[in-house]
Amino acid sequence: MSKQQQPVVQVRRFSMAFVIAHAVNAFAFFALYITALPMYTEFFDWLYPVLGGPATARLLHRIFAVMFITPTFIWMIFDPKGFKLWLKELVTWKKRDIEFFTEFVKELFGFKFKHVRQSFFNAGEKINSFIQIITAIIVIGSGFTLWFPELFPKVIVQWGYFLHNLGFGLAIAVVVGHIYLSVIHRHSSPGYSGVITGKVPAWWAKGHYPDWYDEEVEKGNFPDLDKEDKKPKGA
Amino acid sequence: MGANPAENHPISFRWLLKARENGGKIVSVDPRFTRSSSQADLYAPLRSGTDIPFVGGMIKYAIDNNLFHKEYVAKYTNASFIVKEGFDFKDGLFSGYNEETRSYDKTKWEFETAEDGTPIRDESLENPRSVFQLLKKHYSRYDVETVVNVTGTPKNDFLKVCEAFCSTGKPGKSGTIMYAMGTTQHTVGTQNVRAFGILQLLLGNIGLPGGGINALRGESNVQGSTDFGLLFGDLPGYVGAPKALPEHASLKAYLEKETPKTGYWSNKPKFLVSMLKAWYGPNATKENEFGYHNIPKGNKNYSHMALFNAMYKGELDGTFLIGTNPVVGGPNAGKEKEALSKLKWMVAVDLWETETSAFWQKDAGSNPEKIDTEVFLLPACSSFEKEGSVSNSSRWMQYRWKAIEPKGESKADLEIIHSLATRIKKLYKNESTPAAKTINALHWEYGGHGEHPDIDVICKEINGYDAKTGKLVANFNSLLDDGTTICGNWIYSGFYPEEGKNLSKRRDNKDTGGGNFLNWSYAWPMNRRILYNRASADPSGKPWSKEKAVIWWDGLQKKWVGNDVPDFKPVVSPSEPGGQNPFIMMKDGVGGVFAPSLNDGPFPEHYEPFESPVANLFSKQEMNPTVFIFDGSFNKKGNKSKFPIIGTTYRVSEHWQSGTMTRNQEWLSELAAHMFIEMSEELAKEKGIKNKDKIIVSSARGEITAYAMVTKRFKPHKMNGKTVHQIGMPWHFGYKGFATGDTANRLTPHIGDANTNIPEFKAFLCNVRRAD
Amino acid sequence: MVEYAKYVDVTKCDGCRACMVSCKNWNDLPAEPQDFLGSNQSHAKVTANTWNVLSFIEHENSKGNLEYLFRHSACFHCKEAACVKVCPEEALHYTDFGTVVINDEKCVGCGYCVQNCPFDVVSLATYKDKHGKEYKKAQKCTMCTDRLEEGMQPACVTVCHTGAMEFGEKDKMIQKAEKRLAEIKGKFPNANIYNPAGVGGTHAIYVLAEKPSVYGLPENPKVPTSAVIWKDYAQPIGKMMLGATTMAVIGAYISNKIFYKEDHGHDENGGGSNE
Repeated sequence: MSKQQQPVVQVRRFSMAFVIAHAVNAFAFFALYITALPMYTEFFDWLYPVLGGPATARLLHRIFAVMFITPTFIWMIFDPKGFKLWLKELVTWKKRDIEFFTEFVKELFGFKFKHVRQSFFNAGEKINSFIQIITAIIVIGSGFTLWFPELFPKVIVQWGYFLHNLGFGLAIAVVVGHIYLSVIHRHSSPGYSGVITGKVPAWWAKGHYPDWYDEEVEKGNFPDLDKEDKKPKGA
Repeated sequence: MGANPAENHPISFRWLLKARENGGKIVSVDPRFTRSSSQADLYAPLRSGTDIPFVGGMIKYAIDNNLFHKEYVAKYTNASFIVKEGFDFKDGLFSGYNEETRSYDKTKWEFETAEDGTPIRDESLENPRSVFQLLKKHYSRYDVETVVNVTGTPKNDFLKVCEAFCSTGKPGKSGTIMYAMGTTQHTVGTQNVRAFGILQLLLGNIGLPGGGINALRGESNVQGSTDFGLLFGDLPGYVGAPKALPEHASLKAYLEKETPKTGYWSNKPKFLVSMLKAWYGPNATKENEFGYHNIPKGNKNYSHMALFNAMYKGELDGTFLIGTNPVVGGPNAGKEKEALSKLKWMVAVDLWETETSAFWQKDAGSNPEKIDTEVFLLPACSSFEKEGSVSNSSRWMQYRWKAIEPKGESKADLEIIHSLATRIKKLYKNESTPAAKTINALHWEYGGHGEHPDIDVICKEINGYDAKTGKLVANFNSLLDDGTTICGNWIYSGFYPEEGKNLSKRRDNKDTGGGNFLNWSYAWPMNRRILYNRASADPSGKPWSKEKAVIWWDGLQKKWVGNDVPDFKPVVSPSEPGGQNPFIMMKDGVGGVFAPSLNDGPFPEHYEPFESPVANLFSKQEMNPTVFIFDGSFNKKGNKSKFPIIGTTYRVSEHWQSGTMTRNQEWLSELAAHMFIEMSEELAKEKGIKNKDKIIVSSARGEITAYAMVTKRFKPHKMNGKTVHQIGMPWHFGYKGFATGDTANRLTPHIGDANTNIPEFKAFLCNVRRAD
Repeated sequence: MVEYAKYVDVTKCDGCRACMVSCKNWNDLPAEPQDFLGSNQSHAKVTANTWNVLSFIEHENSKGNLEYLFRHSACFHCKEAACVKVCPEEALHYTDFGTVVINDEKCVGCGYCVQNCPFDVVSLATYKDKHGKEYKKAQKCTMCTDRLEEGMQPACVTVCHTGAMEFGEKDKMIQKAEKRLAEIKGKFPNANIYNPAGVGGTHAIYVLAEKPSVYGLPENPKVPTSAVIWKDYAQPIGKMMLGATTMAVIGAYISNKIFYKEDHGHDENGGGSNE
């Protein structure tokens, strides 16, 4: 990878399994979002005919619900190492993770900020992961009660509606931020290619995840940007 | 008692609940806690077939506790009559019994009369041969202990019922007994009703508002059809059908024999002659005894069971079954179905193909190849597709109009009969055989067009008119026995008194006083609403009480006035001869505590049903000694060792009779969709049956499968130290329609009442077991 | 607006079930034959095509006496109806009579109402459109609002021959119930008026002979707490959060544009400096 002589040096950040899992996840999420939207607010009732009527919308929602559950398994089965790393990172919290947030806010709004050294996942991503995990559990778990109400006591189903709603509310809020950062935001958007091709610009990776980058350099996986004296260009 | 109006006559129950709002009390006596019992103030269970002990005990209670209405009893009933010497009752038998013929010589039960034929009375009621003393003696055996040992009723419940009901013996109070098939469908059915009659006479409860014994009619127009000669022993208007007896050989002889000297029936010749004129028109002349010879006469028993017995033996060629479904509704229905296959032809007239008209089909379990019966099914109109009148239990003749046009090829019964009659007459027109003569004599001119007779012409014939002028008669008082008046049914005479004035069409719902609605429809006879209402006033013509006043003697106007049409000659004052005789249809003008005319005795006596799990505690006579016993395989009897459980049948609110009308209606079918057997938790436990299990019920006649409905509403009868179980089941089901199930009547026996021949559906022996 | 209510005095009911038939007749509902339930009761509960069911209860009271109790069960038409609260389409709504009805046009068959009704009276019916495609609609007793609009009484009330049911102004019906309660207290010490406050009172007011639970009714029904939190808090907050995040993102985008322009050329690396 490092041997590729391109205008921008690319390094592999994510496995293909993750890329696919992420894509499925993202797709299912939005499909679920759209198929549920007219139920969520009457403002979007015009979506019913688009979706082929309420019954079809519900059917689609269930199909995408199944799809929504699969990414975890795709990643887990086809990239167990990456999956494990993710889990490990999630439970590893250090001072730098906390520092990250003050700097992140500056970065987010385009102020001057400094990169707090981060490993493979920065603290923001970890928080995102956490929220997504929790909301996924909430949404999937409550979704079961709504899909199969006859299997559950009524009160569980009733709380299911609330939780489904709550989980969705949290998830969508986080997702909006997540997408903004990855697709639009000037500083983090270069990482966007990571979930498309699995690769990211080396300079960006080094800047955002220096600990991880250095580790990989040591392993000989990534080029040492400082040594090669390569001036990366903004994407 | 013997009725479950909440379930089977719900509209009547509405008025019971209204009565309760006014302080009335509802008593429910039933083997099973029913929907009626749920609304009752008092409930007492009894074993099926023990009504006479129950009511007999009440009669004793009323007499012993001096709760009867003494003046009423002395003046208005035959309790004061003296029965001739020689009358006796010993070990279950009245005097005059002939074991061979299983019948009584009723001359042994006659009253002592004066030379002019009027009965001798002792209004002190103390003569030992007075009806009252004989009654007292007869029911002295019906003490509380014996009664509850026979009926299985908890003693307290029984006494509470006695206390509540006998409290209506006071003036100002009244009580009614509503009964239905639970009372009549027994080998002692008539005597069950008689027991009610005696009790009500003792309590002075006949002839006043809220009194009486009220038969709840199970079919909307069973009253009307009975009035018009439905029963085999009657011509229309309850004129007895002549038999092939020397005494009935001629009209003169018949009238001499059958016309009482006193009472309103002394007018019988006028009614019969006017009726003959209606039937035979110009062919009825004084010279030919108004065509009397044309009336078919026979001596046989033409009741349902006897007809099917004859059919089974191959003695009948064909039959008309109009709106009847004996394969579901007849006793021993399995055998009755077999009997149908012995017919050459059968005409069924019904709204649907019933289990009966389809008896020959494979679905019915028959082999069509082996059945030669030719079956014709004529589609009939429903009540909404035709006009005509329906008479209710209160004898109100209410006209109904057509709501919708008939579906398909269906026709009204009237059109079917009219069509048949005109075609048969055409076929015989040029013949002179004896059969042709009677048919040709029939006067059948009802106008209209084609198959549709003019219904007004028929109405006018029923009401009656002058043979010469055609002028309608005002009522039956105008009828004559010389052939100058025509009247199809005297009891209805007066409902169409003027051209175009059909009183059964009246719908004025204004209370005309005393809760009567005299301008609503027409009540026969003479628009009277309360029969024998003269009895609501004391002998001097004053009402017994203000609360229960109906009619009273107005000395100034010199006539009876009040809230109802007097059921009495309106100008006969209380002091005139007969002025104190309210029961005008009775020969002696008084109520019959003693009934010397019935086949099984002048007083009701308890006999066990045809099949019973216990011995009769009252006498050695197990079963009513005068019932007719059909012989052979048609009438198998079960014994208590093999079939220890009492079975009874009944109806549910949601289905009607054999279910033809309701099992073909989806909304009713879903409400009561399955054949079930109700049983106590105790019996279910004994038999290892759980609620909803499929079970098999068997009797000597057959067996059926149904769901078990285990309920707290059935309790075992505890009597005489023994526990006797009883189960109950609806008899609505068959294999056709939306709601299907096995037919309960495959279990019931071919045995009936000694007077009416009504089958004993309500008490028979059976056994139950789990189906798996 | 005058509130109306159906008064049901179960102590006058004789279990004839004419109310069930007249309901199907007026509302043109198909029969739904059921398996044998072990009693005279035909349906375990109301369904989408059987809007009222007469329940049959054999109850032994405290004195050990048998009572055979009947109850006409149908929609209660709550004043604060959970079904109306949770309906995402505003298909369920209150009428001027106080009845709660479903607008068939708006109903999408989601079944939220089915799960949240404290009385379990709403169900989904499945229909087929002209292409044979199945769709669902929530169904329940409408109190014959279509009849009320024409000045008629609910179909079930008109056929009640014992006078166990009446329809009229709610105040009068409550007075009636109170009067009746006083009459029957002697016979039924546990008698009560069922007009539960947890749902703001109902427009079907019952005089019950025994405790509600004997009739299979909740003693203290209420709009489910979950539904209140969901509809009154979670959903608005969720919408707010979505809005807030979106606003934050837009704000971030704009501010980035501004600062990026200012900073452009000074620090291509986004101002980021390691350590």
